[in-house]
Amino acid sequence: MSEAFALQCVLWLPLAGMLGIALVPAHAPGRVRAIAFWTMVLQFLLTAWLYLRFDAAASGLQFATRAPWIAEWGVYFSIGLDGYNVLLVLLTGFLGPLVVAGSFSAVDKEHKLFYAMVLLIQFAMMGTFLAQDLFVFYVFWETMLIPMFLLIGIWGGPRRIYATLKFVLYTAFGSILMLAAVIYLVYAANQAGVNSYAIADLSRLQLPPEVQAWLFAAFALSFAIKVPVFPLHTWLPDAHVEAPTTGSVILAGVLLKMGTYGFIKLGFPLFPAATLQFAPTILVLAVASIVIGACLALVQDDIKKIIAYSSISHLGYVMLGLISLDLIGIQGAIMQMVSHGLTAAGLFLVVGMIYERCHTRELAAYGGLAKLVPLYSVAFMVLTLASIGLPTTSGFTGEFLVLLGAFRSAWAQHLGGDSFALAPTAIAVTGVVLGALYMLRFAASFLFGPTRAPVARLTDLNRREASILAALIAAIFWLGLFPDQPLRKTEAAAREMQQRVTSAAGTAFHAGTTR
Amino acid sequence: MNWEAFLVGMLPEHILLGGMLLLIVQAIVSDHPQGAASPSIVIVAGAALASLWLGVTGFEAAPFPGQVVVTPASSFGKAIAIALALPVLLLARDDLGDGGPLYPLLLSSLYGLALMLSSDSFLTLFLALELMSLPVYVLVLLGWKRESTPEAALKYLVLGGAATATLLMGISLLYGQSGTLALSSYSQALGSPYTLATGGCVLVLVAFFMKAAIVPFHAWAPDAYDGASIPVTAYMAAIVKAGVLLAGVRLVAEAPLSPVVVGLLTVLPLASIVWGNLAAMKQPGLRRMLAYSSIAHAGYLFLAFLALGPARQPSLLFYLLVYGLMTVLALSVVPADDDDGRRDRLELLQGLYQRQPFAAIVLGLAMLSLAGIPPLPGFVAKFTIFREVMAAGHTWVAVAGLVGSYLGLYFYLRVIQLTFMSPPPHAAVGIMPMRAAAWGAALICLVPTLVLTLLPGWVLARLL
Repeated sequence: MSEAFALQCVLWLPLAGMLGIALVPAHAPGRVRAIAFWTMVLQFLLTAWLYLRFDAAASGLQFATRAPWIAEWGVYFSIGLDGYNVLLVLLTGFLGPLVVAGSFSAVDKEHKLFYAMVLLIQFAMMGTFLAQDLFVFYVFWETMLIPMFLLIGIWGGPRRIYATLKFVLYTAFGSILMLAAVIYLVYAANQAGVNSYAIADLSRLQLPPEVQAWLFAAFALSFAIKVPVFPLHTWLPDAHVEAPTTGSVILAGVLLKMGTYGFIKLGFPLFPAATLQFAPTILVLAVASIVIGACLALVQDDIKKIIAYSSISHLGYVMLGLISLDLIGIQGAIMQMVSHGLTAAGLFLVVGMIYERCHTRELAAYGGLAKLVPLYSVAFMVLTLASIGLPTTSGFTGEFLVLLGAFRSAWAQHLGGDSFALAPTAIAVTGVVLGALYMLRFAASFLFGPTRAPVARLTDLNRREASILAALIAAIFWLGLFPDQPLRKTEAAAREMQQRVTSAAGTAFHAGTTR
Repeated sequence: MNWEAFLVGMLPEHILLGGMLLLIVQAIVSDHPQGAASPSIVIVAGAALASLWLGVTGFEAAPFPGQVVVTPASSFGKAIAIALALPVLLLARDDLGDGGPLYPLLLSSLYGLALMLSSDSFLTLFLALELMSLPVYVLVLLGWKRESTPEAALKYLVLGGAATATLLMGISLLYGQSGTLALSSYSQALGSPYTLATGGCVLVLVAFFMKAAIVPFHAWAPDAYDGASIPVTAYMAAIVKAGVLLAGVRLVAEAPLSPVVVGLLTVLPLASIVWGNLAAMKQPGLRRMLAYSSIAHAGYLFLAFLALGPARQPSLLFYLLVYGLMTVLALSVVPADDDDGRRDRLELLQGLYQRQPFAAIVLGLAMLSLAGIPPLPGFVAKFTIFREVMAAGHTWVAVAGLVGSYLGLYFYLRVIQLTFMSPPPHAAVGIMPMRAAAWGAALICLVPTLVLTLLPGWVLARLL
């Protein structure tokens, strides 16, 4: 089997699974679950194989395929793996079976629709990561909305309608501006004689700085809502709290990476001059997200909200690493994306497991769980420590590299005479302390202290739950102990992006002085 | 007269006219006039296939030089509009019976539409437009069971009359200025500096705005759509609108637009998009909601007139095809109910997924496509229009139109929210399984929808 064909299979398998589910009678939820689970397992095996086959030394696309879709406009259905998406594709494939397995006992109605939507969103997320054509990217980007709209809206909590509409209307507003920018960008490309939607072709355009600024603003707004960056984050806590566990896991695990992926894949390489122009703003917003997200997480008494706000803080690190435009910072950002995908997904899963048993998410209702459910508590603690960024876990690799990159780039500016250059990074570091504070506060009152549980007899993890968490924890330690190989696979892409943006420095500086 | 062009080029018209006469004769001769639906379906399918064949083979001729011309573009337009009548006929047979005046009237309206898309002079255009519109006034009234129906028909009639008068006034101004009734006098007048010519152009355009329900000439549409029975609503929304828009783009042709017309084509369509999308949020029934949605869609469609000359017709054709399919699709799965007025009430559609999963999924797909969410074909349709508008240099108009389309997202999602996320009401609506006609009509629309989703490029390449 050729790798390109395997990559096509990775993309289309979930859709085949959906078709299979549609053919199964509604009264057989067991078969529906089995189809969804084994589809995801197969998809993960393929992504793992492709990850191993991915050549870290080569730059550019690998295993690519390209077929005409709307040939008159130059739209090609082209997908492929590169350094930007290889780890995220692996993450998406890895979380797929865990998401499905984690939902077996949680779904109480409409099994067919539920698993069809989980597969559909998997398809759309894979497509968004793999797309190498701007039109195809946009199609997948928007397709993600609908399954999530239904997942929150049908299987969510009491305020699910409000939360799901807020989620869709927030993200769709960004998307519509991005659509306008996409159309204009391609129009500008046509004027320059490039009749193509290929991201690689479009990033070779030399757009005037003021056009870049407008287009970047539209793209960045859409991505920033999706990340979400403070102050555009208010949809996230609502969506997380009301979503069923599966929805939260998908949202935190993969969907929140879309915004930051958009920045590295499209926002920065397509509009390098505008990136430099907006870099100070993005830096401030990233630091604000880190600190404000952490502070908000500190004062929540709903356990899902703590993790939701901690996600905002952690994605602030990703933005910080990206905007440092330092090779280590960018690679660290990619690593932090994967790490957050694993830890946040894990935390939402453990929270969901306790919620299934006790039906409350109030922090005050729990205490001393370490004595009641020891296995559960070990898993919880490991995930908490990984989220804080304890060395040997993936969280450390990500956060450390991001901060290192941010310092390196700030130090260079500091030496260049900018006396405030170090301030944002210094403030960002406090986020590490705050992170330890809110997570340990959470763990302390949750696992230790006087024993308190809403349910008299609390059962520990069953074998299914334990296997899911064991897989996640194994992945967390793998990235924490052996980050070398995955990091090397991202290096060529990170370097390419960094060079593209920094090579535009001359023009941007020029534009800055004339204004 | 050119005999070959007359016999071959006007084949769709001949089939429709012959079929209509046949149905009238059958109604007169037969004692119990039933069984008109099946022959009508055959006739309409034949006419649609004939138009499609003429379009694909690129047939070009002038059966009546100066009055009627056949071009591939006009043939494709006919094919789309006439083919959309097939699901409508299936629904009509179910809702309004298998006989009566419905079928000859519908065929004569389609005949007018086909003739209109081939017209080459204002005389033919006017005659054909009336031939298309007059039967619809009656169709609205057919099988009426509600107080609001005659009022709706009357409103539609009065508006239609006003549009006719405006059109005639515009035509006479154009005639006074140019001395000819040829359709091309319109596109020439667009570039003319004379006030008389500009006035004629504006009046004719306003008449088309009235017919297509553009703000501020839209007030008739919600009442007419809501007062009519569901198949007739589908006919008005999908087919009559397609006819009006395609005739409009024939007038403008590929000519550059004068600033006055550009202004008119910017402000009123944008106002329609915004107002249609805002007002649709509050509507209690699907028909009223789709009426406001159709006002917004008329806005997108008229924005396509701002595109560069050669891009206008293909982007309109594609959009009308998608929009028509989705509107008919949405209306085809409205559950049956004895009370025609309440069957499409949104609160009674709550929890539809639990009772009729297929209907709910189909309705949801239609809503998402109308909202322009990819990968459904409504997205590519909207993309085409806004891409062309931007390519013509109207960047901010396109941005405003896109932001306006965002306003529409909420009410389309609201339908999905009600059908999927709410518990079913106690009232017994839609307990009956889906009817065969609804299945048929939905499947007729779903097959092309699937093709348009997977291979939009293939379809676009053939319309260009």
